[in-house]
Amino acid sequence: MSELVRLTDVTKLYQGGITGALNGISISVEKGEFAAIMGPSGSGKSTMLNLVAGLDRPSSGTVTVGGTELGKLGEAGLARFRRDHIGFVFQFFYLLPNLTALENVLIPAQLKGNVVPGRARELLERLGIKEVADRYPARLSGQQQRVAIARALINNPTLLLADEPTGALDTHSGEQVMELLGRLHRDGQTILLVTHDAKLATRHAARVISVMDGKVVDDARLESPDRTASEVIRVRGEEGSR
Amino acid sequence: MYESALSLKYGVMGLLAEESLHGYEVKNRFEAMLGGTWEVNIGQIYTTLQRLERDGLVRPAGPRGDRGKLLYELSPEGQKALKQWLAQPDSGPQQLHEDIYVKLLLATRIANGDLDGILARQKRTYLQRLRDLNRLEERARRDGRIDLARLVRGALLHTEADLKWIDELSSERFGAEGARTE
Repeated sequence: MSELVRLTDVTKLYQGGITGALNGISISVEKGEFAAIMGPSGSGKSTMLNLVAGLDRPSSGTVTVGGTELGKLGEAGLARFRRDHIGFVFQFFYLLPNLTALENVLIPAQLKGNVVPGRARELLERLGIKEVADRYPARLSGQQQRVAIARALINNPTLLLADEPTGALDTHSGEQVMELLGRLHRDGQTILLVTHDAKLATRHAARVISVMDGKVVDDARLESPDRTASEVIRVRGEEGSR
Repeated sequence: MYESALSLKYGVMGLLAEESLHGYEVKNRFEAMLGGTWEVNIGQIYTTLQRLERDGLVRPAGPRGDRGKLLYELSPEGQKALKQWLAQPDSGPQQLHEDIYVKLLLATRIANGDLDGILARQKRTYLQRLRDLNRLEERARRDGRIDLARLVRGALLHTEADLKWIDELSSERFGAEGARTE
């Protein structure tokens, strides 16, 4: 695996408060990894994601994605970088209400001047929602986030970033969305996920980066052995029961 | 181990409420229901059945069969007792069996207790446990073992709560350090 993302001594200061600030973060993500960033509200985890996405710039330090140092790009270059390399999934979907699901998915492709309705339909089908293509967001109920994921994938991003993608969903829809991210990862997609939900995160991500007060306090790589039920749980395990 | 003897007793009765069974069938079904998370030996099952028979809660469902095996069924008294037990909510003090509760309290008191290290290691352990439980649940569902999947779900939620406790202690800790340096 090769390195895709590197943050080197990244600091981000905000005027008027320390919420979401970063305090000297260095971390790297390999191509093909599915890493979860976890931490309390205001710990800086969303700030990390925004910096990697090129939506924001660090106060100091460098952010490199796919060999490109983002700090060296101007605004237009940064916009191009986002369009060509980053897929972003937000907590509240941000679908445009006056466009159909299919038209929403196509927005990033249009920005790239590369309208591919066939691929958009294919994506919707792959995500199990081809029947919603012509519906408007208000009529999508639990499937809005899946449409937003299709939109994030339309330009074949190098990196998929998801900021609390299950935060506004009921348990079932949330599990489906995470299942989907897990599948995309198995198909080779590099994913960086910010979440509060350790249960869901550990189901799919084998790496958990813990952030607290703007610092990385732990970086855990989890193992995936097939353990038997009794190796994982004991119900009232009495001694000498064997 | 009064508590576990009790749930083994009612576990046996509950299985016999479904249908009459031999002792070894009771053992197999009990272990299958719990998905291998509680192993019982056949001796415990027979002892339990004998006690239940003595108390009039189960009775032989016919004469001894092959190799002296006896089929048991639940008696009307047994059905009544089982119903009562099921209806009664689990109460009493919360059971915290694991060492970590005492360990963390001690580490916060003892100088050089290495609280940060203990918290960090415990957090990793819980994250790994969540992953193991997730995989176990996935397998259980795939294999149609719904009882086990439900049990694992309970364990997952418990572990999530343990993790949140560790996170609270860590942020308490971070807050305190911040206060000292400012």
